[in-house]
Amino acid sequence: MQETLQTLVGGLSLGAVYALVAMGFSLVYRTMGLVNFAHADIAMIGAYAASTFYLTSKLPFAVAMLVAIVVTGAIGLVIERVLRPLENKDFDLMLIGTIGFGIVLQAVAILIWGTTGRAVPSPVRAAPLDLFGVRVRTYDLLVMGVAALAVIGLAWFLARTKRGAAMQAVAMDHEAATAVGIDVGRSNALAFSIGAGLAALAGGLVGPMLYVDASLGGALGIKGFAAAMLGGFGSIPGAVVGGLAIGVLDSYAAGHFQGYSVLVTFLVFTVAIMIRPTGVFGERTVSRA
Amino acid sequence: MKLRIGSLGALAVALWILPYGLGSYSIHVVNIAVIYALLAIGMGLAMGVSGQINLAQVAFFGVGAYTLAILTTHSGYGFWAAAVLALLATTATGLLVGIPALRMQSHYLGIVTLGLALGFINWITNASISGGADGISGIPLPTLPGIDLSSEYLYYYLELVVCALGLGFGLFVVRTSLGRRLRAMRDDSLAAGAMGAEIPLLRMTAFVLAGLYGGLAGVLYAGLIRYVAPETFSIANMFILLAMVIIGGRRSLVGCVVGAVGLTLIREWLSDFSTYAQLGYGVVVVLMVVFAPTGLAGIPSRALEFVRRRGGRAVNRAELRPFQPYEPVTALESSSLDEPLLEIRSVTKDFRGLRALDDVSLTVAAGEIRGIVGPNGSGKTTLFNVISGFYRASSGKVRFAGRDTTTTRPYTLSLLGLARTFQNLRLFRQLTVRENILVALDRTRTHTVWQYALWQPGVIRRERRLRRQAQKLLERFGLTDFADAAPGSLPYGIQRRIEIARAMATQPRLLLLDEPAAGLNGEEVQQLADIVRSIRDRGTTVVLIEHNMGLVMSLCERVTVLSSGGVIAEGTPAEVVAAPAVIEAYLGDSAMADVPLPGPGPNPDPGPNPGSDPDPTSAPASKEATR
Repeated sequence: MQETLQTLVGGLSLGAVYALVAMGFSLVYRTMGLVNFAHADIAMIGAYAASTFYLTSKLPFAVAMLVAIVVTGAIGLVIERVLRPLENKDFDLMLIGTIGFGIVLQAVAILIWGTTGRAVPSPVRAAPLDLFGVRVRTYDLLVMGVAALAVIGLAWFLARTKRGAAMQAVAMDHEAATAVGIDVGRSNALAFSIGAGLAALAGGLVGPMLYVDASLGGALGIKGFAAAMLGGFGSIPGAVVGGLAIGVLDSYAAGHFQGYSVLVTFLVFTVAIMIRPTGVFGERTVSRA
Repeated sequence: MKLRIGSLGALAVALWILPYGLGSYSIHVVNIAVIYALLAIGMGLAMGVSGQINLAQVAFFGVGAYTLAILTTHSGYGFWAAAVLALLATTATGLLVGIPALRMQSHYLGIVTLGLALGFINWITNASISGGADGISGIPLPTLPGIDLSSEYLYYYLELVVCALGLGFGLFVVRTSLGRRLRAMRDDSLAAGAMGAEIPLLRMTAFVLAGLYGGLAGVLYAGLIRYVAPETFSIANMFILLAMVIIGGRRSLVGCVVGAVGLTLIREWLSDFSTYAQLGYGVVVVLMVVFAPTGLAGIPSRALEFVRRRGGRAVNRAELRPFQPYEPVTALESSSLDEPLLEIRSVTKDFRGLRALDDVSLTVAAGEIRGIVGPNGSGKTTLFNVISGFYRASSGKVRFAGRDTTTTRPYTLSLLGLARTFQNLRLFRQLTVRENILVALDRTRTHTVWQYALWQPGVIRRERRLRRQAQKLLERFGLTDFADAAPGSLPYGIQRRIEIARAMATQPRLLLLDEPAAGLNGEEVQQLADIVRSIRDRGTTVVLIEHNMGLVMSLCERVTVLSSGGVIAEGTPAEVVAAPAVIEAYLGDSAMADVPLPGPGPNPDPGPNPGSDPDPTSAPASKEATR
């Protein structure tokens, strides 16, 4: 029982990170119909940037994180601008274009930070808490707290601000949105940079939990995508549920199948998504004849 | 043609004498390049030709190489026996990876296949049978009588032959029946299904092909390097392979080969600056996607197009020729059907609380021309979608040609003799007009793909027959001048006619036309009326949705009026126009007020012809539907 709970807690904190990745991914997907395969690599750049500002420039962790978010937001703007001609046209080509950007970002990361990765010490020095015999690292609590704040913030932004409402309108019908005077290009650019910022947040938070290197994106990204699918593409609550589910699944698989955890995680994921392709909160899209 | 054979011959000679000019390291690089070319062909077949995003190609490569390695080193098989088993294993893997494609497409499929590839990499780096991170060494040398394959120069010739055969077979598939269907599925899977293409089987076939080529590449790789390790099959290499296919041109197999060989050579050349090279690929992929989505292979035709448009003197003497009516079926055999051709019994269709069809009943007798009218949003197209199998009725029954087809899939219905057109045109955009027709003419089932493996002359013979039929049909519909044009480049009226021709190519017993006159001018509407009458006279029953009341009044013997998802009137045009319910439904809509009762034709009403039976010889015989 205790062991199960321990795995659950470990899974939830990693799941919170996956949820952040999935959320940025979903936001971009839902506003512009773009599946951003470079998202994971943006998260990796975010992790590197945050760790660099934290370790090398000796900035406080929170400030380093903010700087990283700004940096990746700018990268997001560039990607959106380059791929804009394809928006709302060819879905598969855009997808491949973002894979191209992913390759570029990995190469850039290696050029700047080299091939050897780095371990980031935890910014929270407090001893682990003991809750009913389950050891909870304080940093994990911090990660979950920040993730929860990000979810609330994003939901508030989408529901309560003019820009957020405009973004929702673009998501529903970009032509109608243009007709009522929304600058679709600018709205999409904003969505993309927020998505990139969320990726950086995820990357920065995961830095002290995992080892930061150029392949971090691969590990983080695919599970983030899987989380977004499992929860339902484009759905913010879905991203949270999917992220936590993948995190817990991952943590159980690591506990029970050791080296084969990736294999088990993706087999389970594939079966789950075959049973319900629209995910938990996904909308069934009717293809009209 | 002569030029083509000449340049092919020159290329063959050049490839044959290539090793004489290369050092021992260069030939090794070339050998690797040829293996990547095979992999890229498989990727191109799945992604470019069939539109199935497949990011598991390195896993197929790995399954081939590892199966061979394990069978030869652990189980003591000979190289060639192991090679055959390895190919079987990759084909089976292709089938397994293809299963998710039945349920999801596009980015979903991309993520799932990528996930499965990661799972595979995870397995080979951990399992003891695959040697873990160290991999497997000591794979025996493949032996061929009289040829010493330990020489990389001679191995090159083996690879060259395999790759040439692989490319030849790939091109053969792409240009004949199977490939045409795969391309049709890529362009519009719904329309392809409505033309009788068995979409689920075709998707699996695409993955099996990708797996087969991946396995072939894996076997050759294991024989060349005689050592396999996980890093060869990494996700990074998957993305490089993707770059090869995109840069070369995913829709052209030759382009894939050029991309693969070119990028492998460049990668080797830049091996001291591998990170910069990686940066370069990424940038080139992005630029290609934005500026040249068809890749290097597509550049010549795009350039040609550009020059032609610049020239401005597009001597367009192509014209739409008149429709040549079908021979009317006069000798009517006694109706073998005791029941109507189409029968809809209290069908209801709900979309999440929205009731699009509410207890609709409708019977259409063989030989009828039936009109379905109603205000926008009254459920007309939904009804067509239910009849043609795109939607499943929430309740009620649909019977077509004497059997219950409530839950039958579109492709089965097509094989049973149901054809349809679409309200907003669903032609296969990347196929020529002729190919659009050929897809619909092809009535063979997907399981005849065995011919591709075992009896290619059968495929060629069928192809010739289909092409003759297509020519005839193009002539009948007056489309010969546009046979090799892309449908998207043609005027709207011509596209509408192509859609009807494509639907008629399936030799249907029942034709559903969804707003066939939308966007047509007066003369074209007149031609349409003649075409529809001729289609009926050849024995095909027609049901059409139309807003052009003049056309409906002159053409249809019976009219059904839908409003808010229910039938509010049915009868002859005159009866329907007078029905109070209809007038009420259309109140404020001037369409019914000024209906010109006698239509534009000189003989507007040929009279109902309830006795005419569809030509039994033209009705496709269909075996039991496979699911």
